[in-house]
This record gives sequence, structure tokens and C-alpha cells, in this order.
Amino acid sequence: MSEDYMEFEEEEYTSQVNKSTMWRIARLGLAHWPLMVGFLVFIALVSLIESWHTYLSKQIIDMGIVAQDVSALRYYIGLYLATWPIFAVLVFGFIYCAGVLGHLVQYDLRKAMFNHLQNLSLSYYDKTPTGWLMSRVTSDVGRVGDLVSWGFLDITWTVTSIVTSLFFMFIINWKMTIIVILLLPALYKVAIYFKQRILVEYRIVRKVNSQITAAASENITGVRVVKSLRREEKNLGNFQELTDQMYESGYKAAWLSALFLPAVQLVSTAGVALVVWYSGAAFSAGSMTAGSIHAFVSYITFMLWPIQQLAAVYASMQQAVASGERMFSLLDMEAEIVDVPEAIDPGTIRGEITFDNVSFQYEAGKPVLTNFNLTIPQGETVALVGPTGAGKSTIVNLICRFYEPTEGTIRFNGRDYRTMTQHAIQSRIGMVLQTPHLFSGTVYDNLRYGRLDATDDEVVEAAKMAGAHEFIIDLDEGYETQVGEGGVLLSTGQKQLISLARAILADPDIFIMDEATSSVDTLTEALIQRGMDKLMHGRTSFIIAHRLSTIKNADRIMVIENGGVSEMGSHAELIRLGGHYYNLYTRQFREEMEHRLEEELGEREVAMAD
Amino acid sequence: MEPSMIDLKETVTKRKVTGFWRLMTGYRLIYFIAIICVGLSAIARSGLYYVLGKFVDEILPSANLNQQLIWVVLVLLALALMQGYFSYAGGRLAAKSSEGIARRLRNYLYDHLQRFTFSYHDRAQTGDLLARSTSDVDAVRRMFAEQLIGIGRIGLLFVVNFIALLLLNVPLALFSVAVIPVIMIISVYFFVKVGKAYEAFQEQESRLSNQLQENLTGVRVVKAFARQEYEINAFEKENMDKFQKGRKLTIMHSVYWPSTDFILGIQMVAGFYVAALMVLDGTLTVGMYIAYVGFLVQIIWPIRNLGRLIADISTGSVSFGRIQELVKVDQENLDMGSYRPTGRIAGALSFNNVSFRYDGEDENVLHNISFSVKPGQKIALMGGAGSGKTTLVNLLPRFYEYTQGSIQLDGVELHNYPRDMLRQQIGFVMQEPFLFSTTIRENITYGLGREATDEEVYAAARAADVHDVIMSFPEGYHTLVGERGVTLSGGQKQRVTLARTIMRDPSLLILDDAMSAVDTETDESIRRALRQLLKGRTTFQIAHRVQSVMDADLILVLEHGRITQMGTHTELLKQTGGVYRRTYDLQSRIEEELEADLAKVTAVPKNGKVHLHELPQAGD
Repeated sequence: MSEDYMEFEEEEYTSQVNKSTMWRIARLGLAHWPLMVGFLVFIALVSLIESWHTYLSKQIIDMGIVAQDVSALRYYIGLYLATWPIFAVLVFGFIYCAGVLGHLVQYDLRKAMFNHLQNLSLSYYDKTPTGWLMSRVTSDVGRVGDLVSWGFLDITWTVTSIVTSLFFMFIINWKMTIIVILLLPALYKVAIYFKQRILVEYRIVRKVNSQITAAASENITGVRVVKSLRREEKNLGNFQELTDQMYESGYKAAWLSALFLPAVQLVSTAGVALVVWYSGAAFSAGSMTAGSIHAFVSYITFMLWPIQQLAAVYASMQQAVASGERMFSLLDMEAEIVDVPEAIDPGTIRGEITFDNVSFQYEAGKPVLTNFNLTIPQGETVALVGPTGAGKSTIVNLICRFYEPTEGTIRFNGRDYRTMTQHAIQSRIGMVLQTPHLFSGTVYDNLRYGRLDATDDEVVEAAKMAGAHEFIIDLDEGYETQVGEGGVLLSTGQKQLISLARAILADPDIFIMDEATSSVDTLTEALIQRGMDKLMHGRTSFIIAHRLSTIKNADRIMVIENGGVSEMGSHAELIRLGGHYYNLYTRQFREEMEHRLEEELGEREVAMAD
Repeated sequence: MEPSMIDLKETVTKRKVTGFWRLMTGYRLIYFIAIICVGLSAIARSGLYYVLGKFVDEILPSANLNQQLIWVVLVLLALALMQGYFSYAGGRLAAKSSEGIARRLRNYLYDHLQRFTFSYHDRAQTGDLLARSTSDVDAVRRMFAEQLIGIGRIGLLFVVNFIALLLLNVPLALFSVAVIPVIMIISVYFFVKVGKAYEAFQEQESRLSNQLQENLTGVRVVKAFARQEYEINAFEKENMDKFQKGRKLTIMHSVYWPSTDFILGIQMVAGFYVAALMVLDGTLTVGMYIAYVGFLVQIIWPIRNLGRLIADISTGSVSFGRIQELVKVDQENLDMGSYRPTGRIAGALSFNNVSFRYDGEDENVLHNISFSVKPGQKIALMGGAGSGKTTLVNLLPRFYEYTQGSIQLDGVELHNYPRDMLRQQIGFVMQEPFLFSTTIRENITYGLGREATDEEVYAAARAADVHDVIMSFPEGYHTLVGERGVTLSGGQKQRVTLARTIMRDPSLLILDDAMSAVDTETDESIRRALRQLLKGRTTFQIAHRVQSVMDADLILVLEHGRITQMGTHTELLKQTGGVYRRTYDLQSRIEEELEADLAKVTAVPKNGKVHLHELPQAGD
């Protein structure tokens, strides 16, 4: 697990911007091309008007003020005023188009990934931490969405601003313009240099910040141990090392950022000085006017914004492309188990279940089952027992077709289950897990998960059969009670009862249950037992069993150890064998009795308190 | 150089402003200089435009243009340098103060939290404490780093340029800022609104994440019921909702920015016009017109961002309030106590009519507990869940304070001992073993208060029967525990905590049902280690099974906070009808029942006889 975790480490950056990934990201936006074309055109026009504004300012000075021409002044002022309504509409347009496009692309991506995730096989989930998947669908989507919208917008704005500014400068004085063009690369170099360094620092800040959170969190959860071992001072010392690091890197990142703009500005002021120097000579020669000087100074000081924006976009583009790569790797992941084209839904999967020479391995070279043969008649109850992690769930995974045999065949009623659709199999298997997973929502919602079109009466009927009805109606809002995230507001026993009822409602052909190991009170246990009996009646059932009563009543017991089936037979047979099962059974017997004993003592206390 | 630790208790004030002021202790001067720098930077920038204007007015037309040009260029560069330097210095000093204030807060809160009483932690939620000591601190940091300084910048830009405008021409200056109050109001109104919409957007985001998380963690259930379609529809609903909330935000922005663009644009051009007319009638020179344009641009456009800064400050202020609530809580005093013996505690204890109830509760959880213990004795506590066993032992290191009666340790009242002294001398092995995510070695020497040699550590680990397990890891004692290292089983973890306790060589030992996790794994060797550990120390052991308590010098049976039986194994067995005897009988019966149960299926097991645990015979 821990090694896998490292593999899924975040923040892997590709320093090169991968072209094909870039193109694929761009295509996400092109799916909504009217919006994309819209904001690109609007922003280009906005930058054109911005550049023109400076030119108009020059005309006001030269043609109006210096020339002492009131009508020309009014003309240019009027023109300037008239651009504002248009400008406002364009700004509205590009914000709207880019913003909506960004959210739309994010929406598309989330949907595509979520839908894709539903089809991926369980083997993928077993290998991939949930947190990794979460970041793909949340933060990566955000970065890519921003790039497609605001990133592309910024690039367009930068390019058109520079081009249009240069265009107007060229009209005013082409020699000066060439000086400015020569200055641009220096401006860009300085900007990129700083942005890269700032990015590196902020990455450190983020890393230290997550360490600080982890340290604080651990100290709060372990506070009782800390206090009883009197480690407060030492802990604070360690923590201070972290906050010192945070201070150092946070401070450095901040002052680098503070240095960034002045540094770029300094380069541009050098440009302004050049203009002044040159214009002094040109002015006397008549080729430079007061308005031109003003315009050049404005253009040069303005140009630092597009340049610094470009540097920022470049930095975030690297991140977004890395995000894109990770996301696309998820989207390109193919499900390991795919229905064959001619797969059918046989209508039922009741009947004999056959393992015919089945071999299986999770990892190459580590076989879990080898040439395993087994026939289970319709209606039989099979108990799977053995230590945790020995591979009991392998059998279950194979039957559910969450995994397929690497060799051999599994047959339902004589038919190779690979010729059936996954839906045909999985929708007819009822499953109750050891730590039953409920979804947030009401009790009703969770029960109905078993069969979406069940009527309210049917839901209540199923709850009654499972023995869950009584406790449900005792809840504050009965069937409408919220169960909380993952069902946290209910006890384990209650969750088991609900998931039993859910399985009853689904009326499955095959029933699979993983019994809870954590202790539930005797009453609930009896209720669960009764519900199980109802469900198992007439159905082929597989129980990963922990309770003696379940084990003893099974038609067949499979003892699974080290990934293989080590013993199989009825209770009596296996006890007589005196092997693994015998040891397992006697140990379990003692534990269960002790548990019952403690409860007896507990009850006595309650009785005393009354 | 960090300004000395101040007592942040002083920042708890009725008025938040006073609180902020005190929070800045040690950084006030730096922060003040930062703001001055921001102002100087604004002056330099306006000066640049002024020089440019002077250049156009006086240098350009003059005869000896070329000699003077060099001076203009130098002054321009100097001003640019000044502007750049002060803007940088302002940013740097603001960062120094904000990072410093944040560091001090982080350290303080971290330490503060580990000094709260057990009772406080019993009630507090981990997530809430964590949020207050991390993200809320960051909100306060941002307030100093970005928002306050940002408001200062906008304010000073306004002041400096407004003064420049006034010097240029008073009526023109007043005319030029006419629209500013309107923009300020719109800006604040907008950002408050957008803040709410943004909150709704964020909430939807977390709903979406929850939906996703549930789907991913419940993937087995989804697949088992073949409910992919249903899940896709449910996610679609939340996803669509997030898109719509995002679009709403976009629309708000797409209205605000162009409309303020429009208003400010008109104001600006109107200013140009009025100023141009003034040049025409001779009130203003061409150069000063150029300077005016520079001032005007700087005074009106930044105002639009004021609303955002104000809205962010109110968020920061809420965070500060949440921090204050935490700072207010009292710490547990560790070193207060009139009696501090120099050597080890001997371990004689006497409880006399001790009762206890939790803070703010009405009912006692311990009632009139009385018993006494000689140094080195082993006391076993038995009883069902909620009978008060754990509460009783928690009184000894003064995790909780008994509310009535008296506990004497070595003849001195327990609350006269300083807590740190008690905790150093009492070894506490808890029911749930807790290891820190550091190396195994660090975990074993945790809280030792001195450097330990490898031999000592190995010896402790051997005694706890965990040395071999540790050595089987690739990095041995330097293996990390937890998420980033190895995962230990419950029993292994408990043995590491045992090694930790052995390392500390406590005078008094408390084992809170510590063996329940160990029992099933390694039995005999760990029991031997434990017996070794117990030797010569007063020990309190909470246990469930008769086997574990039989050899105790004193067995206390607790029921509902009262001692109902007390004595040695032999004595208690004689009390027929007592809980102890019943427990004993039941445990003996287990073996008989097992025998009977097995006999049902087989008279003679294949490999000989039934192996049964042996219990000593009852006394009578």
C-alpha cells in the first residue's frame, strides 16, 4: 500500500508542454466553439481599443491642445467617449464567454470522468487510491478548465495587445518602435525568470503547509498520549522547525513576488528613458511631438502588463498540462472486464454454479487459485472461513465477475458467465458488506437503492423482513431520517440491517454476505440472523462467515488460507478432520462465549442501575 | 530574529481592532514602515509623470536641450528605481510581518491545544480545532499580507495623486474625483454580493466532492447492485448545479467590470476634456496636461478593487474571531503543586471516599471509592463497559480532578503533586495503541526526555517482544510508521507502546485493557515481559478475563461507578453470587460447553483429544 501511495504522489511536473496534450485540451474548448470564438474575438477587439485609446490621447494633445484646435479636440474627445459603450459591451462579452466556457468545460470533464469511472473494473479501484481519483475530478479539472478559458484568453490578449500597440507606435514613429521591439525579449526574460522562481517557492510553501496540517492534526488526535507521556515541549520544538521552514519559504516567495513587478518595471523605465533621450533630438528635428512622447511612454509602461501576464500564463500552463495528462490517463484507461458484443441477459442466473478448472491471480506469478473445481447446487449455502486477508473475498469477486478467472471457466447453470452481460450478473446478486456502505440521504433512499422502482409498501415490507422496521420507526423521522455521510449517524448493526433489507428488496438470485466482525448487541445479532435466514432461503448464498451459528448451519464450509482452499466439507466432517477448521472453530467458540459473558455482566449492571 | 513570544491571551478583546493591534506586537514598526514604503512608491510614480510634464514644458523647447537631456534621463531612472525599491521594500516588510505573525500564532495554537484538559478534548471536534489552527491562521496571515496593505496602497495612491491634482488645479482636482464615491459604493455592494454567491458555489463544490467520494468508496455497492445509471444521474444533478452556480458568478462579474469600466472611462475622458480646455485657455501647460493624465489614471482605476479587499477583510476578521475563541480557553497547569519529591514515587496509594463527575455534568461517574494499595502491589479492575474503570485510573496522572474525597500518594494529597511530575512517573498503556507517524525508534523513545542508546532501545523492544518484527523491516528501527511507512497490526502497535513504557521505567503503571489487542497474537512471551515490567511497581490493570487478574494483590469489581467487590482471587471466589464468581463460573463453563459442542459431531477427534484451556479449581 505504502509503495503504491508513493507512486501516486502529486505534483509531478512535466517541464515540457506536451503538444498533443495541449491540442487535446484545446479540443475541449472547441466543443463549444461559439463561446471560444466569441471570447477570442471580443478580447482581441478589447485590446485593439485599448491601444487605440492611447493613440487617441496623443491626437488630443497634438491635434487639439498643441495645435489649439477646439473642433479637433472635440472630435477626438467625442471619438474617445464613443468607444466606451462598445468597450463595455466587449468586456461583458469576453467575461461571459470565457467564464461560461470555463465552467462548461469543467462540467464536461467531470461528467466524462465520473461516467468513465463507473465502467472501470474493480481491479482498477483496488490499485488506485480514492484520493488520487478525487484530485483528478476536482483540482485537475479546475486547472484545465481555467487554461481553456482564462489561459487562452490571456494569451490572446497578450499577443493582440503587443501587436496592436506596436502597430500604433509604428504609425507614430517607426525608428522608436524598433528600439521598443528590441526591448521586449529582455522584458520577457526577466518576467519568466521571476515567475519560475516564484513558482518553485510556492510549491515548497504548499508542501510545508501540508506537513504543518498533518503535524497539527496528529497532535490533536494523539493529544492524550502526548499529555500522558509529557512530550509537549519536544513536540512544540519539532513543530517550530516546521513553522520556521514555513516562515522562510513563505517570506521568500512573498518577497520574490514583491520584487517581480519592480524588476519588470525597471526594464520598462529604461525604455522610457530611451524614449526621452531619443525624442529630445527628434523633437528639435520635428519628427517627435509632445503627444508622441506621451504615447510612447504610455505604450511602454502598459506593455509590461501583457508581458508579465504571459509569464504567469506560461507557468500555469505547465501545471494545467500536467493536470491534463493525468486526467487523460484516467479517461484512456480501459476497463479490464468488457462485455463481449454478443453477450446476453439470460433473465436469471439461478441454478448450479460451476468452477471449472479455474485459476486466478491478482499479480502475475502469485497464483491465488490453481485448477480449482467446484460445483454448487442451486440453493446451497456456502460459508467461507479463514483469517483476514487470506483470500475469502477472491471467491466472491470471481462470482460477482468483479474479476474474471485467468484460466478456466465459471458457469451459471451450465453457461459460461463471460457470455452474459455484467449487468445481467451483477443486478441479480445481492450483497451485504462487512462495513455496510450507505449513501447519504434518507433511510428510504438507501433501501430503495436495492430496487429503484419499489413502492413504499414494498420498501417497508423488506425492512420488516430484515427486522429493520422496528428500529427505523423509532428513529426521529422514521424512514425519512437522514443517515449522514456513509451512514455515520447509525450504528454498525443498524447499517447491516438496512443493507440486508436493501438486498431483500433487490430479490437477488445469488446472495453474498460478509458478516460484521465488530460486535453488535445480541438483539441486533438475532435480528440479522433472522433476516439472513429469510434471504438465504431458496437462494444460493455465499457467506464470509464469522459467527459460529452461520458457519455451522452452512451446507458447505470452505476454509481459505494463504489464498487457497485448504479444507472443504460440512461442519462435522471438518471437526473430525481436526485441522485448520478445528482450531478456528474452537478459538471462535471461546471468543464468542466471552463476548456473551461480558454482555451478561453488562446487563446485570443496567438492571442494578434501574 | 523573532520578536519574543507574547502572551496571545491579551489579543482576546471585546473590540477586534484592539485584538489586531495586540496581535501585531513586535511587528508594528515594520508594518508601519511597510505602509510608508508603499506611500513613497506612489509618490515616486507620480513624480515620474511630473518630471515627464516638466520635460515637455521646459526642457524640450529650451535651446541647450542636449545638455539638460541627460539630467532628465537620470532623474527618471532615479525615480523609477525609487518607485521599484519602495514597492519591493513595502512588499517585503509586509511579508515579514505577516509571516511572523502567522508563525507566532501557529506555534502558540499548537502548544495551546496540547495543554488543554482532557475534558476539553473530550468535547472538542478534531476537525474544528484543526481548521482553527491552520486555515483560520492563514486567513489572518492573508489579511496582513494582502488586504490591509492593499487598502493602504489604494488609499495612499489616492492621497498622493489627489494632492498632486490639487497642486495642479483645485477645481480640476475636485471634478476629477467626482465619481469615486459612487464607484466605492458599487464596489463594496458588488463584492459583498459576489462573496455570497461564491460561498454558495463553494458549498456546491463540497457537495459534489462528497457525492464523488461516496461513489468511489462505495464502488462495491454500486457495482453489486449495478446502479451505475442511478449514480450517473445523481452526480449529473450536482454537477449541473455547480455549473449553474459557476455561471451565476460569471454573470455577476460580466456585469460589474464593464459597467465600472464604462463609468470610469467616461469620467476619465471628461477629465481629459476639461483639462484640455484649460490648456487652451492658458490655465494649464501642455506638460502639466500630460502629468495630469498620469495622475488621473492612477487615482480612479484602483478604486474598483477596494470592495474586494473590504469583503476579504471581513472574512479574515471572522477567522480571527474563531481563533480568539480558542485562545480564550484555559490551559491545564502542568507544574503547579506544592509537593515535588526529588526521587521516585514509592507508589503507596489510598483512596478515601473519592467521587468524580465530569465538568458540567450533574451525576457522579464514580461514587465513594475507597481502597488502599501498598507500593509494588498489583491492582486489577474488573467491570462492564461504563462501570468507571478507565475514569478511575485517569484520576492518577491528574487527567481529571476528583471532585470529592481524597487520594493520597505516598501519604501526600494527589493534587499537591505537579501534573508534569506525575505524568513523568506514571506509565500509561492505553486500550487503543497510538503511534506517531515518525520512525519506530522515535516512537519508542517518545517523551523520554533524554537521549537513549541503541542498546537500551533494543532491550526495551526485546522485552516487549517486538524487536524481531522491527528488524524484519528493511530500515529496522528507522522505519516510518503510518501512512508513509509500514502498517503495523494492532498487536504490534501495542507492543511498541509497551516498549515505550518499558523505556520510561515508570514508578507506577496503568494498563488500560492494554492486552486485549495483544492476546490473540503472541501470548506467552509478552506475558513474561509484562510480569517483568510489573515487578516492583504499583500497577493498575484493567482486564476482562479472570486469567489475567487472578494473581493480583487486590481485585476491585466496579459496577456503575461503585466498588461492589474487593479482595484477592481466592477471597472473591468465596463470595458466591458475586459478579466475580459468576464471571469465573461462566468462563469455566466455556470450556465445558465447547467440549459438549464438539462431542455432538464427534466422539473422538482424529488427532487425539480436545485441547482445553485450564483454569485453577475453585476454592470451595
